Amino acid sequence: MPRLILHIDFNSFFASVEAQANPFLRGKAFAVAGKGKGRIDREAGAIQGKRTSISELSHSRSVVTTASREAKKLGVKTAITTHEAQRIIPNLPIIPGDPRKYAEVTHRFLKILREHCDAVEQFSVDEAFADITTVAGDKFGAIMFAQILRSKILDTIGEACTASIGIGPNKVVAKLASELVKPNGITFVDPSEVESFVAARSLRDICGIGPRLGKRLTSLGVTTILHLRQTPMDRLIAEFGPHTAEFLWNVSRGIGDDAVIDSATDDPKSVGHSYTFPHGLETDQEVHDNLLALADMVTQRLRNQNLFATHVNVFARYEDGGGSGTNAQLPEATNDGLTLFEHGFRSLLPIIDIDRGIRRLGINATQFANKIPSLIPEHNERHDRCLTALDLIAKRFGTGAWHRASTLNTVFLERVSGWHYDHE
Amino acid sequence: MPVHELLNEPVDVRVEFTGKRVHPTHVHWGKKTYVMKNVNLVHSTNEGEKRIYYFSVSDDTSFMKLRLDTGALEWRIVEFYSE
Repeated sequence: MPRLILHIDFNSFFASVEAQANPFLRGKAFAVAGKGKGRIDREAGAIQGKRTSISELSHSRSVVTTASREAKKLGVKTAITTHEAQRIIPNLPIIPGDPRKYAEVTHRFLKILREHCDAVEQFSVDEAFADITTVAGDKFGAIMFAQILRSKILDTIGEACTASIGIGPNKVVAKLASELVKPNGITFVDPSEVESFVAARSLRDICGIGPRLGKRLTSLGVTTILHLRQTPMDRLIAEFGPHTAEFLWNVSRGIGDDAVIDSATDDPKSVGHSYTFPHGLETDQEVHDNLLALADMVTQRLRNQNLFATHVNVFARYEDGGGSGTNAQLPEATNDGLTLFEHGFRSLLPIIDIDRGIRRLGINATQFANKIPSLIPEHNERHDRCLTALDLIAKRFGTGAWHRASTLNTVFLERVSGWHYDHE
Repeated sequence: MPVHELLNEPVDVRVEFTGKRVHPTHVHWGKKTYVMKNVNLVHSTNEGEKRIYYFSVSDDTSFMKLRLDTGALEWRIVEFYSE
């Protein structure tokens, strides 16, 4: 029997949460900004203790992470600069993003799903898949469940936060279905209707077919799902390789994964941090300081979860696109920031082209193992005691309570959009 | 033109307890007392061991985001909107 997979996707998420908090924003055109050159930073504004008008902040340079429905109707799109947005709508209010507020709403909707569904897989800050096969039973149960879910969201979060829900036999179809009716829609796709439903969508509606892959398909003369379905497998393999070819062959027929992996119970495979800088890093020293600060953030999380990494993965993305990355084995399992950094930096430095300007830098700790006692216990004992003391300070006063002297000049603003929230 | 500001100023707040929930009802800020009709959203965050609660409240003409520091038992207004 096919499974019943539900996909929930909040409509204009950050803007809706802002409108939920401040009812005077409802029905108005406005945008929520991420971090940028002008540092539209809500927390910093408040901490400095001086009154700051939102309209003054609106002149800073940043990126639109979400536009309200009314702003979208007038042409303001996600990821355009705030200056472009204000060219489209003069005096458009730009609200600084407030990730802690959005995290609360993310937690609330995931909690509702986890209370009622067989398994829940968070897909982003405002999207999740849920397996409702047992709880819903059949088509009518699934639609009823979606309506109950919508009503619980209304009670628990509020009327300004609406979500579109899609239900299908797998994640590909459920996600496509949730895109169909916005805002606040419910779409059920019966297994018998999957092929025709998918055929009626455009290639770019498919999650996994981005601008680059779309362009390559167009250059092959493949412009619709039906074209893709008719393209022989050997041609797809020749053009894209076996992995992408299999993906394309499957999605064009509505075949997809129906396993919902509960992200809350899944063991972490890696712990990492990356950061997109408002301007490119232009010196080795800047890369050094920022990578060290990122490594400290990673290892603090490792120590909180009592994890020890045996490998480090580092990468840099350039201002002109493209990037470099590498990984290295650590001499022993560790959760020390300096050790992780030293091996990551040593591997990264020879392969990066600093003249291209580094826009994004990232470091991941991977392949976790048990800690093996060191051969030089005295050295490690002192070092471990120091780390324990620093962790206690961070626990009591917050994660920004201590910095290495060499990372004092690094500033990481909380990101508003993306996969997860930085403060968690 | 509406006023929409980020700020960080101490305020006096009168609250109502309903079960385990706290509802700010009156906010005394400057020389004025605002009677809040709606609690639109409550969210919280940790600053080290301190739990900080944020209440997004409104009346017919104003919105306020109030910050309650449970360590210092201090209320502050951190965002204000008025039509």
